[in-house]
Amino acid sequence: MFYLASQRLQNARLAGVLLLGLVLLLGGCAATPRLSENAAQTLPAQVFIQDVPFHGQRDYQCGPASLAMALEHQGVDTSVEALIPQVFLPGREGSVQPEMLAAVRRQGRIPFVIDNRFEALLTELDAGRPVVVLQNLALPAWPLWHYAVAIGYDRDTNELTLHSGETPERIESFRRFDATWARSDRWAFVVLTPGELPTAIDAGGAIDATAAFERVQGAQAALPAWEAIATRFPQAAMAHFAVGNARHATGDRGGAIAAFRRAVSRQEDLAVAWLNLGLALDERGNTEAAREALQKAADQTGPWQERARRALASLDNRPRHGP
Amino acid sequence: MTTLRRYLSLLLIATLVLGSLPVAAAPQAGNGGLVGTQAALDAEHTSDARERIHDVLARDDVREQLMAQGVDPADVEARVAALSDAEAEQMADRLDEMPAGASVVGALFAVFVILLVTDILGLTNVFPFTR
Repeated sequence: MFYLASQRLQNARLAGVLLLGLVLLLGGCAATPRLSENAAQTLPAQVFIQDVPFHGQRDYQCGPASLAMALEHQGVDTSVEALIPQVFLPGREGSVQPEMLAAVRRQGRIPFVIDNRFEALLTELDAGRPVVVLQNLALPAWPLWHYAVAIGYDRDTNELTLHSGETPERIESFRRFDATWARSDRWAFVVLTPGELPTAIDAGGAIDATAAFERVQGAQAALPAWEAIATRFPQAAMAHFAVGNARHATGDRGGAIAAFRRAVSRQEDLAVAWLNLGLALDERGNTEAAREALQKAADQTGPWQERARRALASLDNRPRHGP
Repeated sequence: MTTLRRYLSLLLIATLVLGSLPVAAAPQAGNGGLVGTQAALDAEHTSDARERIHDVLARDDVREQLMAQGVDPADVEARVAALSDAEAEQMADRLDEMPAGASVVGALFAVFVILLVTDILGLTNVFPFTR
């Protein structure tokens, strides 16, 4: 955080020139962010999420404080003190983005990074979800990175409401907020219970977020999230594939086979789904259908071809049962 | 020449051992040998074997970096385990450049003046009294 101290400006004249340059450079950049026509029509004029607890930050703890607010709103029993050892980096006197997300996973909730557009932020607030945002309150050359929790907005006055630093329900103009938020490339995330999805997210983003969660919390915890993604994005083959894996891991083999079938019907060349479909069918003793599916996987070049061939070979070498 | 050969063979051994690790580490147990979702996504994102080796090394690297940043060793393992592969890689590669949200003003006078002016212009938000 002490980029400032490392900067040595020679004299006042240089500072003056720099100042002038900055004003000219940045003066044109900041403007009140505009909404798309669709968003402008559908978003209500005012939104305020009532029940977001506030935790004032001490020292450098805006990361843990913001996390505690978002997590508690989601019903997680936690505290700033409990979160500090999970995200705070003493050497940097702050918290970095990946660890903010990782800490959410450890509490059994999924962090979804939302689209980096201003209206995505308002859309999530309208849906009643507080949004953790990363701002650079100062300038790119002397950054002052800061996490805060957006909890409401007013389009009539063009103001955003945030639990920020030591101030609950701090009001910032859209223009000033967006200028500081844009410096983090408008990075923001919502904290959700598995099964809920943000509005402002695409299939790929939702899938990656849930896969990362599953890695930490396991298939059982992730299954509702996968089902929700497959429902929201019915054309995303990878979502059905993931549903199949999670169902299989929780013992629902019939359900897994159905999901793998949906995956390959959405994307015929998804070799890995054919492979898992074949293996799952074989487990249930459905050898003929398994052979067919494994053959589809083995026909395609790629990382799964070898494994599919091996599975196919072991199927053929096995002593046959029945008549 | 002998030293070079020794280094090369060490490198080769390390590469081969690491190359086999991702397969060994793939979560197969309890899932009937099915390919896991994360493994399938990884294969989509990274086709290069070298990159997959990098994934494994990345977590070790992050572990060391967290220690170096003063994180309690008792907390390090759980923190590293909660990262996704992509996040672990980002942290391994560029933790030093990552923004660390903290919000403390270290003040040099010239910078103070510049930020004061940009605050008044509504470009920054450092000093509460400018609003």
